[in-house]
Amino acid sequence: MTFFTVVVRGLIRRPVRTGLTLLGISIGIGAVVTLVGMSWGYEKSIGKQLDVIGIDVVVSNMSGGLMPKVFDETLQDKVAALPKVADTTTVLMLMLSIEDAPMMMVSGREWGGFTWEKLEVLEGRLPKDDKEFAVVLGKLAAEVLKKKVGDTVQIEADELPVVGIVDGHAVVENGAVILSLSVLQEISSNQGKVNFVDVRVPEGTPEKEVMELCETVNGLFPEGRAKLASEVVGTSQGYRLARAMSWSTSLLAIIVGVLGVMNTMLMTVFERTHEIGILLAVGWKRRRILYMVLCESALLGFLGGVTGVGLGALGLKILEVTPAIRGLLEPDLSPKLLLTSVAIAVVVGVVSGLYPGWRSSRLSPSRALNL
Amino acid sequence: MNEASKGAGSVVYEAHGLKKNYDGGQVAALRGVDFDIREGEFVAIVGPSGCGKSTLLQMLGSLDKPSEGSLSYRGRLISALEDPSDYRSTEIGFVFQSFHLLPTFTVSENVQIPMFETGLSRGEREVRAHELLVSVGLSHRLKHFPSELSGGERQRVAIARSLANRPSVLLADEPTGNLDSENAAHVVELLLKLHQELGMTLVLVTHDLGIAALATRTIRMKDGRVVNESTPLTHAS
Ligand SMILES: Nc1ncnc2c1ncn2[C@@H]1O[C@H](COP(=O)(O)OP(=O)(O)O)[C@@H](O)[C@H]1O
Ligand SMILES: [Mg+2]
Repeated sequence: MTFFTVVVRGLIRRPVRTGLTLLGISIGIGAVVTLVGMSWGYEKSIGKQLDVIGIDVVVSNMSGGLMPKVFDETLQDKVAALPKVADTTTVLMLMLSIEDAPMMMVSGREWGGFTWEKLEVLEGRLPKDDKEFAVVLGKLAAEVLKKKVGDTVQIEADELPVVGIVDGHAVVENGAVILSLSVLQEISSNQGKVNFVDVRVPEGTPEKEVMELCETVNGLFPEGRAKLASEVVGTSQGYRLARAMSWSTSLLAIIVGVLGVMNTMLMTVFERTHEIGILLAVGWKRRRILYMVLCESALLGFLGGVTGVGLGALGLKILEVTPAIRGLLEPDLSPKLLLTSVAIAVVVGVVSGLYPGWRSSRLSPSRALNL
Repeated sequence: MNEASKGAGSVVYEAHGLKKNYDGGQVAALRGVDFDIREGEFVAIVGPSGCGKSTLLQMLGSLDKPSEGSLSYRGRLISALEDPSDYRSTEIGFVFQSFHLLPTFTVSENVQIPMFETGLSRGEREVRAHELLVSVGLSHRLKHFPSELSGGERQRVAIARSLANRPSVLLADEPTGNLDSENAAHVVELLLKLHQELGMTLVLVTHDLGIAALATRTIRMKDGRVVNESTPLTHAS
């Protein structure tokens, strides 16, 4: 028999209660993994998209809701005239409900702009020119909408033919419906409006100069902001919202977990007052009693954490294939997230064991044995 | 009083003016007790129910602290020990009337429990528990749980456990109180053997005058005091 046997024996003597506590912790940790995984995944997908397209600076007005507010497209000419600007292009990005999909990214891109460059045509072709009333679908969007070349998609009031399926090498690109900027402006009644000016700087420009460029743009465009592509992700409203929600829900899950484990450990300790009296009477140190209770609660946390991570991974897999979310983000199931979550669960266990452990180590043996 | 044994060993316990109150002074369980116990003695503590015998034994076992007075063990003041766990685990073995075994641990595991404080390896703990259980005649019960044993067997497990860390003193509070006469005889025989063969100092609380007669000395108590040891029992009770 080892000390670990003593710890395990303490937990399995009440299998139902231990089981319920484990279930509670795993649901909590499962929620943490799912929510944080989605939020991290969202961040990663956007970052990857900007990277794939080769955008250095994004000019937009992020103060709106999920998508930035539109502004006049003439801003592009002013930005293009600035020094240290190699190339600019404009985009009108809208979140629209398309047929059965409640939320789809619809990306109207300036004809001839560099945002078209990285699209690899898998089937069909790109639009002929900026006036063609047609869309190409990212390969995930095609799957979600169940469309192939030759079908039509309905955007707002218009039916547009699908002329091509493309691979944009980033999940956000592949989840999008892509068309010429002027066509999207027309069908969404946003004539002359865009919500992004994407900027490329000459290769090898030091970050300091890029930041100076951002400052200059901010002078031209007071209601919006120019940001380094690397900053965009963390400051987008949608992302901030997602992150805040995932962390606050996680915090709630953790608090519920702590209360659950603490309750279990307190009950265990009260119920075992007599046994703890025996342990003290045969010479166990108070420290060892405390350590035993902490090990029990840490083990509860660890086991709950491991099952919780399993549940969370399952949850993310389910979300990944859920039509409503498919293509909007790529859940992040990194080892970092999984290990962090198990570590959180163990910490939850230890923290919850502190008070019960302290209480039981303070017992007087004669009182505990009811002598 | 047995002059021979009193003169023989060095002083193990020495109590001066030992008092113990319960419930904020409402109950005076010990009202000023003085005695000493020497190495190798077998002391029987007798007296009517409620006279403070168990309370006294708990003080000796450092399971509780006296309210007043001093109690020393081999010259060390145990009544003032901040953490008596070392004393409990290595110096003494305690045997209770109601056994106090851990129900979710096997016989062998129960005997190993005190050994966690002494740095024995897992293998050494198992071997030692086995030896001890052989010596109390329970080698065939190692893997049983306490609930599967008779009262006499449980008490023998408790005795094996009390010997786990090779104490020199054994404190037993009515160890036969819950046993039938046959099992009681077996347990007494075992305790006597420990006293005689290993020279352990044995302090035993009992109601049974037959057991008390085996002791080298008897301490009689009444109303929280030690009454003259030479006083005939009929006067004390
Ligand atoms: N934990 C306690 N709380 C209050 N009173 C106690 C407690 N333990 C013992 N007593 C009282 O102290 C007196 C002595 O008890 P005890 O030492 O158990 O006597 P004995 O073992 O001789 O029968 C009794 O009157 C008993 O009721
Ligand atoms: Mg008693």
